[in-house]
Amino acid sequence: MRATLFIAGRQLWHRKLLNGIAVLGVMLGVLTLIAITGIMRGFQTKFLDTILQISPHVVVFDKTLGDTTPIVDQLLGGPSATAIVRQTSTDRQQRIARPTETVRAMRALEGVAAVAPLVVGSAVASAGSKETPVELRGIDPEVQDVVTPLRSMVVDGQLGGLTGAVDGAMIGHQLADLLGVKVGDNLSCASALGDRVVLRVVAIFETGVAALDKGRIYVATRRAQTILGRGDAIDRIELRLVDPDRAPAVTAQLEALFHYDAESWQETNASMLGVFDQQNMITGLIIGAVLLVGGFGILSIQIMIVLEKRRDIALLKSVGYGSRDVLAIFLTEGAVIAVLGAALGAAAGHVVLAGMRLLKSASGMGYSKPSTFAIYERPIVYVLAFGFAVGVGLLASLVPAWRASRVEPVDVLRGT
Amino acid sequence: MTSAIAAAAAPAAALAAPSLEARALVRDLGDEVKTRILHGIDLAIAPGEFVSVTGPSGSGKSTLLYLLGALDRPTSGDVLIEGVSTVGLDDRARGARRGERLGFVFQFHFLLPEFTALENVIIPMLRRRDIPRADARARARAVLDQLGIGELGGRRPTQLSGGQQQRVSIARAIAHGPRILLADEPTGNLDSAAGEAVLGIFETLVRDRGMTIVMVTHEPSYARRAQREIRLRDGRIVEIAAGAPATVTTR
Repeated sequence: MRATLFIAGRQLWHRKLLNGIAVLGVMLGVLTLIAITGIMRGFQTKFLDTILQISPHVVVFDKTLGDTTPIVDQLLGGPSATAIVRQTSTDRQQRIARPTETVRAMRALEGVAAVAPLVVGSAVASAGSKETPVELRGIDPEVQDVVTPLRSMVVDGQLGGLTGAVDGAMIGHQLADLLGVKVGDNLSCASALGDRVVLRVVAIFETGVAALDKGRIYVATRRAQTILGRGDAIDRIELRLVDPDRAPAVTAQLEALFHYDAESWQETNASMLGVFDQQNMITGLIIGAVLLVGGFGILSIQIMIVLEKRRDIALLKSVGYGSRDVLAIFLTEGAVIAVLGAALGAAAGHVVLAGMRLLKSASGMGYSKPSTFAIYERPIVYVLAFGFAVGVGLLASLVPAWRASRVEPVDVLRGT
Repeated sequence: MTSAIAAAAAPAAALAAPSLEARALVRDLGDEVKTRILHGIDLAIAPGEFVSVTGPSGSGKSTLLYLLGALDRPTSGDVLIEGVSTVGLDDRARGARRGERLGFVFQFHFLLPEFTALENVIIPMLRRRDIPRADARARARAVLDQLGIGELGGRRPTQLSGGQQQRVSIARAIAHGPRILLADEPTGNLDSAAGEAVLGIFETLVRDRGMTIVMVTHEPSYARRAQREIRLRDGRIVEIAAGAPATVTTR
């Protein structure tokens, strides 16, 4: 072992330039891995955190599945009416039957942290001469705040104002700018089926998601039902789960039990998550390619050194060193290059990520509000980068080391 | 010659078996078309004997030396180093035997360029667990001193003359205390003064330490200074210029 380390160390130092290039190759591979992973995963993590913060984990819609009886009707002994003698347009719309009992039943399910019923529809908001289409949401603010923490997003006014004033409204900050209103001002809201209602702005929120900040209004449930012409209908139930990752399983369970169409946050954001998967695949390919190039750098340099050092290898063998000793010498050289490159790459990656944290993302990446780059930096990334680089380095030095160990001293001596 | 070298050397008389013995040694070279380089050599070299091997180019001198040094495997026949057959040994065991029992000096010194002269002498001893590093360094210094190049231990091979390089390679061959030294054209790349110095060292090693030396050479005057001169032609021993006939036979 002492001989192996002594000889390998000296040979590495003697060819500082060549081995330095090999170290640089590995370093760039590890740097790329850490930097790209940090930036890409940082953005993805920030996106998902935002999604999980402002969106429910599961949404139950008023669309029934199949021709089966909802569980509440099953438990309560069948439908409450056996014949409909007169229908109005309001009665014909879809709705979640027995919403109070349904919400209570959902709260009792394992893994469900909070449940909020609401009514959602399209409306037009106007103030003065300005008007814009909006998504109107009728909520119980205290209940909804547990499912999607609205209170934490309020930047002006009070969420409690929604329940305090019957005509209170909470609007996104970009919508407020668009309509030119602030807390305490009035705006008008109407839909095709309901009444035009004058609302007072009691709070302004900011989610960081542009689509919500400029197109959503929260009002009390009863007021939304009036504006949208929904009678007393509840058309949506939102759930917050203890473990967001269990959303698909809970969704399937809800559909099986209540026979309403339900959607997990993963389904809602499937297109974006699909993009993330593709990003991760492409990133993995790029990183793999860069590390392989680093590996080929070690391979080619080591092969060159082995060819150049055939006489020295022959000498070592003639004085008693075995094939395993020679193999160990060249593998040690490959390992040192890989470890050194990986360590330098990890340090450089850390510096690059620290620099990226200081930069401001101008566009908010098309989704969230402009902010500094979100960086994903975890020890596991460094451990994986280090392990991968050392693995590639050892693998790359295996072929030249094997060739070196196969050198027959007598072949070299005869050829001299 | 005393100190480290002498301490490591066993008295020649204590060895019952010949230092080196070739039995019906045949060596063919070539993959498709075989060429017989050695035609059944029988040879025994006694402990403490200085033997030269001469002959024209292509007569099989170096091949015989590589076989005697277990650097090569015979096509048939056997080589015994201090009474132990090398034919049945695997590469690792043959390497270990070379490292412990033999020393090699080549025409081209084969010094490792990354290491100083002292380190080049130490390297064969580093893989030996029975020689601590401090001992290896002390032995290397002692041998370099005895060969008159102690002050050059810190120099790299490129900073040494041809004669100095060859002295370092001799130091490397003997510092770990082998009883047998195999030299392939050790003076072939040296001027006459340096060549004479190398021969002087060999004679000292035989006389003072009782080493067995087999030297392949083209130089008749050096060959005659050995106790026996074995002349090869076309892979056969054709003449023995000196020595006891009982220890050398030809087939």
